[in-house]
Amino acid sequence: MISNTEQPQSSTTATAVAQSGDAKLNRLEMITRGEHVDAVIHAELAKCASVLDVNDVSLWYGDKQALFDINMIIPDGHVTALIGPSGCGKSTLLRCVNRMNDLIDNVRLGGDMRLNGDSIFSPHIDVIALRKRMGMVFQKPNPFPMSIFENVVYPLRIDGERDRNVLEEVCERALRGAALWNEVKDRLHESGLGLSGGQQQRLCIARAIASDPEVLLLDEPCSALDPIATGKIEDLIDELRGDYSILIVTHNMQQASRVSDFTAFMYLGHLIEYGPTVSLFTNPKLKETEDYVMGRFG
Amino acid sequence: MATRKSVRVADRTAQLLITVGGLGTIASLLLVFAFLVGKVYPLFSGSSLSQPQEIDLSAATQPVTPDTKAPASKTPTPEPLHFATDEYLNLGWIAYRDGTLRTVRLDSGETLSRVSLIPDGRELTAWSFGPRGEIGLGFVDGDIQLGKISFATAFLQASSDDDAAAGSGDTRVLQLDEVPAELTGLRIGDVARYRDGMVEKTPEGQLRLQELSVEMDAPVTVASGVPIRLIDRSVPKQGADSLAATEEVLALLTDEGLLRVATVRKVYNMLLDQTTTKLSARTLQLELDMQTQQPDRLLLSGLGDNVYLAWNDGRLQRFDARKGVDVLLAEEVNLVDGGRVLTSLGFLVGKTSLVAGDSDGGVTVWFRTKPEDATTIDGAVLSRAHHLQSGSSPVRSLAASPVVRTVAAGFEDGSIRLYHVTSEQLLAQSTTADQQVPRLLTISPKNDVILGLSHAGLSRWAIDAPHPEVTLSAIFLPVWYEGYEKPEHVWQSSSGDDAFEPKYGLWSLVFGSIKATIYSMLFGAPLALLAAIYTSEFLNPRTKARIKPTIEIMASLPSVVLGFLAALVIAPYVEDIVPQTLSVLATAPFALLAAAFLWQLLPMSLGIRCDWLRLPLMALAFVVGIWLATIVGPFVESWLFAGDIKAWLDGQTGTATGGWMLLLLPLSALLVATVFSLFVTPVQRNMANSRVQFVLLDIAKFAVGSVATVAVAWLISSLISGLGFDLRGTLVDTYVQRNSLVVGFMMGFAIIPIIYTISDDALTSVPESLRAASLGAGATKWQTAVRVIIPTGMSGLFSAVMIGLGRAVGETMIVLMAAGNTPVLDMNIFNGFRTLAANIAVELPEAVENSTHFRMLYLAALTLFALTFVLNTVAEVIRLRFRKRAFQL
Ligand SMILES: Nc1ncnc2c1ncn2[C@@H]1O[C@H](COP(=O)(O)OP(=O)(O)O)[C@@H](O)[C@H]1O
Ligand SMILES: [Mg+2]
Repeated sequence: MISNTEQPQSSTTATAVAQSGDAKLNRLEMITRGEHVDAVIHAELAKCASVLDVNDVSLWYGDKQALFDINMIIPDGHVTALIGPSGCGKSTLLRCVNRMNDLIDNVRLGGDMRLNGDSIFSPHIDVIALRKRMGMVFQKPNPFPMSIFENVVYPLRIDGERDRNVLEEVCERALRGAALWNEVKDRLHESGLGLSGGQQQRLCIARAIASDPEVLLLDEPCSALDPIATGKIEDLIDELRGDYSILIVTHNMQQASRVSDFTAFMYLGHLIEYGPTVSLFTNPKLKETEDYVMGRFG
Repeated sequence: MATRKSVRVADRTAQLLITVGGLGTIASLLLVFAFLVGKVYPLFSGSSLSQPQEIDLSAATQPVTPDTKAPASKTPTPEPLHFATDEYLNLGWIAYRDGTLRTVRLDSGETLSRVSLIPDGRELTAWSFGPRGEIGLGFVDGDIQLGKISFATAFLQASSDDDAAAGSGDTRVLQLDEVPAELTGLRIGDVARYRDGMVEKTPEGQLRLQELSVEMDAPVTVASGVPIRLIDRSVPKQGADSLAATEEVLALLTDEGLLRVATVRKVYNMLLDQTTTKLSARTLQLELDMQTQQPDRLLLSGLGDNVYLAWNDGRLQRFDARKGVDVLLAEEVNLVDGGRVLTSLGFLVGKTSLVAGDSDGGVTVWFRTKPEDATTIDGAVLSRAHHLQSGSSPVRSLAASPVVRTVAAGFEDGSIRLYHVTSEQLLAQSTTADQQVPRLLTISPKNDVILGLSHAGLSRWAIDAPHPEVTLSAIFLPVWYEGYEKPEHVWQSSSGDDAFEPKYGLWSLVFGSIKATIYSMLFGAPLALLAAIYTSEFLNPRTKARIKPTIEIMASLPSVVLGFLAALVIAPYVEDIVPQTLSVLATAPFALLAAAFLWQLLPMSLGIRCDWLRLPLMALAFVVGIWLATIVGPFVESWLFAGDIKAWLDGQTGTATGGWMLLLLPLSALLVATVFSLFVTPVQRNMANSRVQFVLLDIAKFAVGSVATVAVAWLISSLISGLGFDLRGTLVDTYVQRNSLVVGFMMGFAIIPIIYTISDDALTSVPESLRAASLGAGATKWQTAVRVIIPTGMSGLFSAVMIGLGRAVGETMIVLMAAGNTPVLDMNIFNGFRTLAANIAVELPEAVENSTHFRMLYLAALTLFALTFVLNTVAEVIRLRFRKRAFQL
């Protein structure tokens, strides 16, 4: 068993342990049988400054466990992708970060996450304040039935911001950040629902970055979009890299390889392998990871 | 691959069925509408008079019967005084100035008989002819003679007929040895002369004889040797059969200016088989020079309590002649505008309203009103209530309908006009042939014919005015009814009194419907909407799965049960605890809020674990709120309402502050909350170092806020009341047991389930993704609900409210049972009302088919239909607006 520390060293230990078990049995089969396996975490991650630490996170939907002792760090200012077959718990993990799982009945949590050192799972935490420190973008574009302007400044509105100048400034900054400004600057006061799907998703990204979040959570942001819109979003993520720490769930291997700096591979609620995207895709440490990224199962 | 045939057939069939169903729905709706319009249309289809039918009276004069002592001269006919007909319009009689009474056939003008009313040939100086044939004659020697001219009906029967004895109780049967041949040959509806009367074959095949019957009492001396100048009679109470029960009043003016008002008693002497007339008189000596200022007319009101003396220059003196007081001059008014001459004066049906015609063709109607500031001895003032459309030449004659408030006027130029007085409507007009001046007009007993007597003869017009009182303005605008102080909206369709005029002020019912709707929506809609927001946004789905059906079950409570509860349980109960009931409106929200603030005190982890306790605790808080009200109620009553809220509501005690306080409390709470959230909350954020501190500050804020709310409300209320504004008389007033508060409460219950269900569905159907987006952005649940969910679901919420509104407008049973059903026009929440729907339910069973009343009820239905239709259309338009805004793509 690995310890629950946030030290990068522990990851190295985990890697070593995992590698030792590699030869004996296929991990995926072990997981299916309900046995415990340890994640393989590449050493490069140890060098990164983290924005979010995930410590031993487990999650149950009622009696059904959906996440098993997840340990990982999300590096600051980088794009981290979560990949894995459908139902492996990527979205669940993402929702843990901003405690959207609270809204679901009968959810139990174990372990903790820390956002820049502040506990997320603690019962004393002000969830509303916590969520304001992150931005989330969902699978399907979900702009509010309001004007483009109001959509973008929504996070400020709910914070009670009334100063028109501040709002306008933030709106422009966020829309520029989401590479949407040029397309909509003349119709800021038209309904956000009048935009195309891709534009709507970028509007949602603008909304998510309007409050300057510490981490941006993207849950399959392109799965409902056509290839051209997807391309634009990917370009956008590329541009946001550095300014924001991004955690992106994706179904699409190419997308993960294109946009992310680090990739985590999950399977049935377990973290299997986590490392720099390049090495994970070209030189994975595990046979299972290689099979998955090659499209041999999933 | 081609579509399978069965699929295509199914498709076609479905399409056909849907089309038929849709069109059928529209068609049936239109049919209902057309049916209602069809029933209502005759109300507004107008009135008319037929072309005059002329009857020459000079023709075929019958020789004077031997026992008549009146001279049957061919010299110019003396002045006719009065003219009347029987109800079947076969006979008419004319009384002349010389005392003769002539009976004529109305079809040919043939004179049937001629008798003298004055057997001993005295000189007639005063006369009055009442609507039921009662006459009063005054003579030059100071005697008067009373009598009655009527039509006697008898059925002719041959003695040989087997069923001769079949004549039922009331009808007189005349047994003849043999019915004359010219009568047996009559066809149904034909008439023929028989003796001095007319025989008509009725649709039942009987031969109905009508003859004039003249009964004159023995003359009575009232002013020995002094000529009687003017006389009038009234029968305030018609005895059923015995003479004793009949009450009669007589008013007369002698040549010496002595006004006598006498109660007439007829005493029957069995020994002599004679009736003697006894007068018990009150007198008033008028200070008039009878040579130059002799009044031209004397009229006695139907109840015998007012005597009017009128001069041709339009001056009218009204004398108070109520029983038991001295006859005294009450007031003097001028009936005509300057320079005109009063040419005609009479009573409307009921002998209360005066109709005056003048030399410029003006026709005005006057009656007594009782304004509070009256200075007359009897507190009444004669007011000119109606000004009818003027004719173009002087009025020569007036005739009031014996059954409705219509009046016919004959003008110098030969025109006649028929007016409905109350609605001030000129119903129809016509002219006599050759522009003969109609010197006497009469409207037949059944109100179906106008007869005009001119020099040339009789003119006869058939009246077609089935609904003379109905005009759009009479229905929807205030109307000045007899005896009312001013024009008002009144709905009163029936009464026990004969002379009663039905009042169809539909507006008061529309008002009732609106009032019912407003008060029940005021109570029901916010509750239902809040409940929907709560269950859709805050309640966890498992609890909701139990609560929603429970609320929906409320919808299946029959409204008659709710009405019953409201009328027989809640109304009497609430009557005893008015201050407590009013206090609940403040204490229940207070208790809920206090509970919410205290809840925050729980440590967060405990709070999350005890989440399931929230709902029961809320219910408990509500109960505590009610309990608080029972404690606070008496204090509120003594503090705000001078110790007795009903007296306060009556306006007897206390200042206006209490009422304003009641109304302003929510507004003040809103104000205080806004001020606090703007200015205090930021400070509080800075001050608090920990959660517990923050919560404690929050509770302190709530306590201060509650006190501030009361204080602010009190201040503003005192200010408003100090400025002299009082709620009493508008929104609150005298307490009536069955009132809008009770109805609003109960009807709220009837509409809550439907509004709740639809709004909850509307809110729940707002995409989950929007909720997630908002919460993910860091909004609280409440912010999410207010900023995203409610605006998005607004079209649905709006529909819900409108459907509730439709339900409230049309609701019948609850208002019928609990609203008291008095059609009053005030917004007083403590008074009842009568709605369109309840009115239809109450009155339709008693309405005579196709009568005005019956059709007015259909009009009420049509109005209700239109009201809901307009409401729904407006609602739909607004809803689509909302929807377009919410889901614009
Ligand atoms: N609200 C929920 N209630 C119960 N089980 C859930 C819920 N959401 C997800 N799950 C389960 O948790 C597992 C992980 O789901 P999810 O995180 O959505 O997977 P992914 O996003 O990787 O496809 C799945 O087995 C799914 O069935
Ligand atoms: Mg997912």
